[in-house]
Amino acid sequence: MDRRLTDLADQLAAGLIARREFLRKATVITGGTAAGLGVLNTMAHAQGPKLRVWLFKSYVTAGNDILARQVEDWAKERKVQIEFDWATFGDREQKFVAAIEAGNPPDIAEMNYQGPMRYRPALRDVTKLAKDLAAARGGLLPFAERVVQTGGQYFGIARLVFGGGLHVRKDLIAEKGLKMPKVYDPDVIEVAKKTQDPSKDLWGFGQTLNRSDDGNGFLQNILWDWGGGTWDKEGKPALATTYLKENTAALQFAVDTIQKHKIQPPGVMGWTDVHNNEAFMAGKLVMTNNGASLYYAMGAKKHPLFDKTQVILTPGGPAGSFVASNPYNWGLFKASKHAELCDDLVRWVEDEKHFEEYMKACSGQAGPVYKSRAEHPYWKTDPNFQGMLQNILRGVWIGYPGPSTPAAIEVQAQYILCDMGGRVVTAGLSIDAALKEAHKRVEDIYRIRSRG
Amino acid sequence: MSVPAAQVGTNAALNGRAAVALRRVLGPDYRMGYLFVTPIFFFVLSLIAYPFCYAIYLSFTHKLVGLPPVFVGFENYIRLAWDGFFQRAVVNSFVFTFGSVGFKLVLGVVMALVLTAPIRWRSFWTGVLLIPWVAPTVVSALNFLWIFDGSLGVLNYLLVRVFHLLPQGVGWLSEPGTAMASVVAVNIWRGFPFFGISFLAGMKAIPAELYEAAAVDGASTLQRFRHVTLPGLRNIMIIVVLLSTIWTFNDFQIVYILTKGGPGGTTMVMPVLTYETAFGAQRLGEAIAVALYLLPALAVTIMVLARYMRKGRKR
Repeated sequence: MDRRLTDLADQLAAGLIARREFLRKATVITGGTAAGLGVLNTMAHAQGPKLRVWLFKSYVTAGNDILARQVEDWAKERKVQIEFDWATFGDREQKFVAAIEAGNPPDIAEMNYQGPMRYRPALRDVTKLAKDLAAARGGLLPFAERVVQTGGQYFGIARLVFGGGLHVRKDLIAEKGLKMPKVYDPDVIEVAKKTQDPSKDLWGFGQTLNRSDDGNGFLQNILWDWGGGTWDKEGKPALATTYLKENTAALQFAVDTIQKHKIQPPGVMGWTDVHNNEAFMAGKLVMTNNGASLYYAMGAKKHPLFDKTQVILTPGGPAGSFVASNPYNWGLFKASKHAELCDDLVRWVEDEKHFEEYMKACSGQAGPVYKSRAEHPYWKTDPNFQGMLQNILRGVWIGYPGPSTPAAIEVQAQYILCDMGGRVVTAGLSIDAALKEAHKRVEDIYRIRSRG
Repeated sequence: MSVPAAQVGTNAALNGRAAVALRRVLGPDYRMGYLFVTPIFFFVLSLIAYPFCYAIYLSFTHKLVGLPPVFVGFENYIRLAWDGFFQRAVVNSFVFTFGSVGFKLVLGVVMALVLTAPIRWRSFWTGVLLIPWVAPTVVSALNFLWIFDGSLGVLNYLLVRVFHLLPQGVGWLSEPGTAMASVVAVNIWRGFPFFGISFLAGMKAIPAELYEAAAVDGASTLQRFRHVTLPGLRNIMIIVVLLSTIWTFNDFQIVYILTKGGPGGTTMVMPVLTYETAFGAQRLGEAIAVALYLLPALAVTIMVLARYMRKGRKR
């Protein structure tokens, strides 16, 4: 409370002034303050337009700093004020939901693959800008095209996709004279069994099925690897129908890594996204699937395991090797009064010189979404980047082999596949029952989302 | 039109009488009173009553982010009633709540008894025992996340490496038998000091003469506890249990940070399910329906406990 008001209240309480006088003076003070704020507001407007920018705070901190600086440089050049806000893995979607529902979204935001489908009602159609940028960069890679575009309209401008792959302790593999695994069954199982030593708390493979992005990604990938999937070509639920046989085999494999082969550490079903990073860096894992942030963190910390780690292509299954490439993208909101400035900012940060600076700081995390960026010599500067790049280039989209739809995104967001795995491992459900239970949930989502 | 002077006088007198009557009924400063109360009234109306009513309305709609709500009647409630995950969340919520509150009650009584006993550094121990209650829940939960970690956690380290009690570490948060027990344990750890400190205050209010009289009558320690302490704490116990039941039922942070409701929904409780439905599924109408589903059950619990308290007072 304003100090003058507090003083007045004290005087009133002490009987020094009458209530009428208190009210009169309080009115003068609050009116004066409001007028002062109005003047300040006018002065702020005189300094140029203000843009609210939401960026994503990834684990690759060097990249975050560079992107923020680039936005600030642009603002200085264009005489624009910037109000930054950062979203993290943990609060990004919540912030979007709250802002959109409150009718107060940012002008521009860095969104993940879920953004264009989920926030479409609040996003501006950016088809022209997206096509211009893509055309100048050899076109979008197929997975990126599917994520940011629907029905010929673009609701996001693709920026990057996280590189990653199977992080392997090459020293332990060499020690045993083994080859790098190419498929999960039998390669990963055999390598894990031969290299692990549970008595020393060293485990062959670290891959949770728990509710997390890691669990989601792994389960989705292996369904495809075994020839199955959550959705059919028309985008209809297929977990326990079209692909029942394939999905049964895939889920059985995932569960077997824990229950039958015992190549995963105790507690793996309670892991979140950071646990495998920590366990790998603590020297307790031989292999784990992860984004490039793990490789970056080891490099940035000069971790002793950095030189002993190789990032290879994510292993596959009987039907091939699939990974979901989920691009990050710029979302430009309809409610913004500065559409042209937003477009200009996107052009600035996506300018090849600026993006190159960002990419080089990201240690493989700023993977290409445009064809020309995939040919950048940077990807040949580290043998581990090749694994990451090839993983991206062969990537598919959530919803594959059907279209990317809001229902497909929601299945990921609700961790339906993780729950499916969890119900077998922790609740003792049969594979068949877990698939049917998950299928029913997917059907529900499909039905609800089909309404629009 | 002109008004006769006599009539003006009569009207003034009537107005004066009415004002006096109003002042008598509403108090001498009723105008000023209403002036001060009106903003608060609108404040409560706009920040509590309106959002609550709007939430009830939204629970009857199909509401997706950025789109207007579409009225669907009881569809959300009916769908939830048949949803296996929701049913498990209801059961888990009761297990989590009553499991926690039961233990907190016992530990709280023990804490209060210990702190009323003649022990050294009583104030110091009181402060130490209050730490779990004072520490932010997020910080406590993050610490327990590390303590319970299967590979890097201190609990497994102690049990396996230091004391050699187990041949191999336990996945405290990843196995159905231990996941719920672990989140309940953290809730108990966090909540029992509130019970203890409330009971301590209650015990200090029990007249010492009652204990002396009981001792003179030959009552043992246990009998004094049963026939003097417990009846003296009865009302406080009911209030504390009531409050803790509500708080625990609505506890989100501990479960969300430790397990996010996993693995496989083993620890999914209503607040986490509400959050997941709102921000994961982004179906706001259904999320509110989840949140409102148990409101009647909680209301009944509160009413029963309140009635029980009133009866106790009459006696």
